[in-house]
Amino acid sequence: MISLGHSFGWFLRLVAVIAFVYLLGPLFVIVAASLSDTGYLVFPPQGLSLRWYQAALADARYLNGFFVSVRLAVTVAAASLVIGTAAAVALTRFHFPGRAFVEAFFLSPLVLPGLVLAVALTLFFASTPLVPPGMTRLVVSHLIVGVPLVLRVMLPVLKRVDRSVEEAARNLGASPLKAFFLVTLPALKPGLFAAAALAFIFSFDEVEMALFVGSAREAPLTVVLYGAAQMAFDPTVAAVSALLILIALILMVAQQLYAQR
Amino acid sequence: MNEAAELDLQGLVRRYGSTVAVARMDLAVAKGELVALLGPSGCGKTTTLRMVAGFVDPSEGRILLRGRDITRVPAHKRDMGMVFQSYALFPHLSVADNIAFGLHRRGVAKAEVAQRVARMVALLKLDGLEARLPRQLSGGQQQRVAVGRALVINPAVVLLDEPFSNLDALLREGTRIELRRLQTELGLTTLFVTHDQAEAMAISDRIAVMNQGRLEQLGTPREVYERPATRFVAGFIGRANLFEAKPGAGGGLVSEDGIPLDAAGGAATYVLRPERVTLVAEPADGANAVSGTVEVLSFLGNGVQAVLRLPGGRALLVEGAAALADRFRPGAAATARWTPADLTAIPQV
Repeated sequence: MISLGHSFGWFLRLVAVIAFVYLLGPLFVIVAASLSDTGYLVFPPQGLSLRWYQAALADARYLNGFFVSVRLAVTVAAASLVIGTAAAVALTRFHFPGRAFVEAFFLSPLVLPGLVLAVALTLFFASTPLVPPGMTRLVVSHLIVGVPLVLRVMLPVLKRVDRSVEEAARNLGASPLKAFFLVTLPALKPGLFAAAALAFIFSFDEVEMALFVGSAREAPLTVVLYGAAQMAFDPTVAAVSALLILIALILMVAQQLYAQR
Repeated sequence: MNEAAELDLQGLVRRYGSTVAVARMDLAVAKGELVALLGPSGCGKTTTLRMVAGFVDPSEGRILLRGRDITRVPAHKRDMGMVFQSYALFPHLSVADNIAFGLHRRGVAKAEVAQRVARMVALLKLDGLEARLPRQLSGGQQQRVAVGRALVINPAVVLLDEPFSNLDALLREGTRIELRRLQTELGLTTLFVTHDQAEAMAISDRIAVMNQGRLEQLGTPREVYERPATRFVAGFIGRANLFEAKPGAGGGLVSEDGIPLDAAGGAATYVLRPERVTLVAEPADGANAVSGTVEVLSFLGNGVQAVLRLPGGRALLVEGAAALADRFRPGAAATARWTPADLTAIPQV
C-alpha cells in the first residue's frame, strides 16, 4: 500500500503504532485495573476478579447517574438537533444583513472553556427565577454547546446540498414544506446522525457545568464518578469506566454493521 | 398576442438591484411547439425559464398558461415538468420512485401510478433499472430518469434547462434526437434553454436568441441563420463575415475596410456566411472579390475551414469541400469570391 520508499514506509508504520498506543493505552489501563482483585486502583492488576463490576452494578448511585446522563444527553441531542438544524437552514438559505456575524456568534460557545461557561451559568441562574433548578438547568446549559456543535456539522452539509433537488420536488407538485421533508431532510440524514451523536457524546461526557449547575439529587454519571474518585479510589470507578467503554464499543460495532448493510 | 398560445410571456422583466437580468421579454409558445431560448451565459435565458417554472418572481410582466394568469401561482401548482441541468434526481429514491414522485403528489391511485411509471420506463428504455438508486446509473441513464420524471405527470409545459450539457458529445446527439422524437410524438409544449446553437438549430421549431437580457430575434432555425435580425444573432448563430457597406467613390458599395461590394440593397451591414465564399487561385477584379493569403486550413472531416488574411487585416472565414485542402496550402495566395445573393442585409444594428 505504501510505496513511498522503504524507510519512509516503516517510519509511517511506527507513527501509526505510537498513535494507537497513545489513544488506546489509557483505555487498556482502565479496563485492566478494573479487573484487579485489590481494594485500591493498581496497574498492572494483581489477581483477577469481577467483584468491582458487581460492586458497581449494586451501587444505586452509578445506575441512577447513568440513567440521568442518558436522559440528559438524549434531551440535549434532540433539542440541539432541532434548534441547530433550523438555525443552519436559516443561515444557509436566507441572506440578511449581519448573517456572517450571526453565524460566528452562534458558533462562539465552542471556543469558551467549559469552566468559564459553568461559572457564568451559576451566576446567571442565581439571578434569575426563569429556569427551575435540576435537570432543566443542565439541559439549558448543555444546549449552549450542543446547538453550536450541531450547527457546525450541519452548515457545510446544507451548503453542499443541491438546491435544485428541492426545486425539482416543488416543480413536481410538492409544497416548499413538503419538499423539505420529502427530499432535503433525507439528503441530510448522515449529517443529522453525526450531529446528534456529537451533541449526545458532549452532554454525556460533560463535567464542569454538571458539577456547577446540576443538583446533587439528579447527578449525572460524570459527577458521580468525579465524587467517587475523589473520596475512595477503589476499582469500582474503573469498572464503571470499563462498562462505558464496552457500551461505546457495542454501539460502534452496531453502527458499522448498519452502515455496511 | 397569439390567441392559441399555450404559454405566453408578456413583457417579462427581472431586475436584481440595478442590473436587469431579463428586459421586457415577449414570447408566445404554441401548443406542441419546441422553442429554444438560446444565448451566451448571462443572457437571461435561465432566469426566464426559472420565472416560467415559478422559482423566480418577475419584477414586471405576466405569464399566461392557456390564457390563465399564473404569474403569482407558486411553483408546485404550475403543472410544469422541468429537466434540470444537474438532473436533480432524488438521491435516496429508486428510479421508479423518482419517476412516481410527481404522480404521488397529485394523488394518483396506486395502480395507475405503477402503470404510468412502467410505460415511462419502457418509453425511455430504463427496463431493469427500476430499483436502482440514481448514483448507480450512468450519466445518460440519469438524464433519462430526469426526463421521465418530468414527462410522466403530463405537464402542460415541459421546461428543459441545458439537459444535454452533462453528456459526452457522442451521447448528446443521439439523446437530443430521441428527446425531439418524444416531444413531437407526445405533442409537448416545450421551452428549452441552451447555449449551444447547433443543439438549438437541430431540434427547435423556433429559436429565441437572447443577449444581455434582451430578445434579439425570434424565428425558425432557418430564419435566424439566413436572415439574422442583428449583428449579434449573425455572429452567434453559425460563423459570419460582417461588412459595413457604405456608398463608395464609384457609386457602388464599399465595406469599412475598402472591399467593393455588390449587394441587392443599399448601405447596411451585410452577412456573408463562410460556406457561400468560393476560394480560387487566380486573381479576380471588381466587386465581391478579394485576394489575400491562406492563413489556416482546418480539416473537419466533412469539409474544410479556412482563414484568408486580407491586406487590410481582416480574417475572412471560408468553408468548403475537403478538396479545398488539396488545392491550397497555408501561406498560398488565394482569391475569395461571392455573388450578390450571398450577402444578406441585417435590418438593424
